[in-house]
Amino acid sequence: MSHCFAGVDIGSTMTKVVIMNQSVLASVIGPTGPEHRKLANRVMEEALKKAKLPFKDITYVVATGYGRINVPFADKQITEISCHARGVAYLLPEARTVIDIGGQDSKGIKLRDGRAVDFVMNDKCAAGTGRFLEVAAEELGVRLEDMGKLSLEAKKAVRISNTCTVFAAQEVVTKLSGGAALPDIIAGLHEAIATRVYGMLRRLKIEREVALTGGGAKNIGLVKALEAKLGFAVQVPPEPLLTGAIGAALLGRDIVKEAEEKGTPLSRAERRLQEAALFT
Amino acid sequence: MPEKSALKGLAEADRYYQDYGLRARELKKQGKKIIGYLCAFTPAEVITAAGFVPVRIKGDVNEPITKADTEMETIICPLVRSCFDMALKGHYEYLDGLVVPHACDSICRTYDIWKYNLKLPYAHFINMPHGTDDASLAFYQDVLNTFRTSLGKFAGKEISNQALAEAIKLHNQNRAKVKELYELRKASPPLVSGEELTKVLIAVMSLPVEESIKMLGEVIAEMKERGVSAQKQARIMVIGAQVDDIAFIKLIEDSGAWVVADDLCPGAREFLSSVDVTADPVVGLADRYLRKIKCGRTYREMKGNYEEYLEDRFGHMGRMIDDFGVDGVVLYIYKYCDPYGFEVPQIKSYIEAKGTPVLYLEDEYSMSTIGRLRTRIQAFLELLGSK
Repeated sequence: MSHCFAGVDIGSTMTKVVIMNQSVLASVIGPTGPEHRKLANRVMEEALKKAKLPFKDITYVVATGYGRINVPFADKQITEISCHARGVAYLLPEARTVIDIGGQDSKGIKLRDGRAVDFVMNDKCAAGTGRFLEVAAEELGVRLEDMGKLSLEAKKAVRISNTCTVFAAQEVVTKLSGGAALPDIIAGLHEAIATRVYGMLRRLKIEREVALTGGGAKNIGLVKALEAKLGFAVQVPPEPLLTGAIGAALLGRDIVKEAEEKGTPLSRAERRLQEAALFT
Repeated sequence: MPEKSALKGLAEADRYYQDYGLRARELKKQGKKIIGYLCAFTPAEVITAAGFVPVRIKGDVNEPITKADTEMETIICPLVRSCFDMALKGHYEYLDGLVVPHACDSICRTYDIWKYNLKLPYAHFINMPHGTDDASLAFYQDVLNTFRTSLGKFAGKEISNQALAEAIKLHNQNRAKVKELYELRKASPPLVSGEELTKVLIAVMSLPVEESIKMLGEVIAEMKERGVSAQKQARIMVIGAQVDDIAFIKLIEDSGAWVVADDLCPGAREFLSSVDVTADPVVGLADRYLRKIKCGRTYREMKGNYEEYLEDRFGHMGRMIDDFGVDGVVLYIYKYCDPYGFEVPQIKSYIEAKGTPVLYLEDEYSMSTIGRLRTRIQAFLELLGSK
C-alpha cells in the first residue's frame, strides 16, 4: 500500500494542510484564528474528507509555520525554512533562491541540491510583510486582494517609507489628503515592500532562478515591483500559499523513506493514539 | 556518578548566578570595599591589588529597561542601558566605587551619566587607546599607572609592584582554571554544558579572585567525575559581545545542540589569554589588555594582504572552531553594538570561507524576542543536520 503524508503549515494569518502520496491528493487553506489547536484539527478533518481518507491512513504528519508546536497530532515539527526549501525544490526545481512573503514575516532562502543552505528573515517588525499591506489596505478602504490589480493602473508610484508599518499607514493618509491617486499610492506601497525585501535578500547573494511564495506572491503588483528590483522575472508556484505545507508533507515522506531503507523503526508521536478523541 | 545534590561547586555557582552580587554584599558587611566595573577591558588585577573586591556589572535580559531611559537615549547599546537600569533600580547599592574603561562609545560616553547618578565615593575612567601600535601601548601604560595611583589614593596606600604582581598571578590562575573548564567542552558529549559553563562564568564575575579559583576547581573536579551520555548533537560556537544570562545559550541547547565554544564575555575572550609576568607589572598588563584580548573595540592596523589581516583579527576564532570540533557558528549581535556591528561581515565571511556555516542574529538584549530567535536557531540546526 502506498503511504500518505500530511503537511500542516500554521502561519500567522493562514493555516494550510496538504495530503500527498506521489502527488497532492487534497489541500485546504483557512484563516488562522487565535485557537490553533482546535483549528488544526478542523482543517485536517476537512482535508481528510476531501481526500476521502481516514486519519489512520496517514503515515506521517509534519507541522510547520509559527504555530507548529500547536498541532497535537503531528509526528514532527520542522521549521518553515526547511519546509519552504523542500516545497520549492519539488515544485520549481530550477529555483536557487526563495523569497517568501508571509503575513508576519518575510524570508529569503538559498537552495543547493534541493536543500536550504542559508536563510535570512526580517527583524521583529512588520515592514516588508503582508501585515504592512493589510494595515495600509484598511487605511485606504481597499480589499487586500484587489491591491495588486489596482496598482497596475498607477501612473507614477508615490514614494513611501519602508521602515515602519505604523508610520507608513500615517503616510498613506497624508498622501491621500494631498490628492495622490489611489493606484499610485498602492504602487508605492508595493515598492516599499520590494525595496525592504530586496535589501534583506542581498545578504544571501541572490542566484537565479528566484521563486516567490507566500501570500505576497498572489499580489501581481508586488510581484512586478520585486521583478523590477531584481531585473528579471520570478517564478511563482500555482498556489503559492501551499509551498510550506507541501514541503512539510514531502519531508515526512523523506523521513519515512529513510527509516524504511535503513530498517530503523519509525518514531512517531504517541498522540496519534488519541486520534479518536481528537476527530470525533 | 554523583547525585545532582553532590555537585557542590555547581550549586554554589548557581546561587551566585541567581542572586548576582550575593557574595559581594556578604563581604561588604564584613568591612570589605567593593568596586564595580564595566567590560572585560577593566584590569581587575589593579582592583584586587588595592585590596578591593572587583565585581563586573551586568544587566538583566528579563527586566524591561524603564528607569534608564530618562538618562540615556535608546539609540545606544541595550546592554549598557540595562546595566545602568539595574544600577538605578538599586541592584548595585553595595558598590563603593566604579571603574569604566574606554571600551566602546556606548560605555565611554555614558561614564559621566553613571558618575552623576550613582554618586559613589570613588569613580574612575580609564582612557584606554584603541590602536595597538607602540605609541598607543606606551600611552596606555601611563593611563594604567594613573589608574593605579588614583585607586591607591582611595585605598589609602600605594599599590606596590609586588601587590600588583601577586594580583596578576591570582588572576592568571583564575584564567588557567577557566581554560581547564573549556578543555572539558572538547569531549563528545561535552563534559560541561554551555548553560552550566555560562552560569559558572557569570558567578565568577562577581567573586573575589581567590574564591573564584576555588569554586572553579570544585566545578572542574565534579564535571570530570560526572559521567554524561547523550546522542550526538551539533556542536555550536557562539560569538558576540557580553552575554550575561543563560537564556540564549539554553535556547540553543534546548533546540537540540551543544554549545561547546564561544567568543563571548564572560567567556573565551575574557578568560583565555593571560598576563605575561614582566619586571614592571604594568608592562604585562598593558600588553594583555591592548594586544592580547581580541575584541571589536580595538582597532588593528591592516598589515599584509586582506586574508592575513582577517587571520590576525579572527584567527583565534578559526582555531577554536578546529580545536573544539565546531559544526556551526551563531553570531549573536545586539542592536546598536557598533564594534561588533562593524565586524559582522568580515567575521561571517572569514568563518564561512573555512567551510563552517554561520547564523547571524541581531537581538535586542531582551528575552521578549525569544520566539523569533527559536525559529531561526531551529532552522539553522536543521540546515546543519541535513548537510
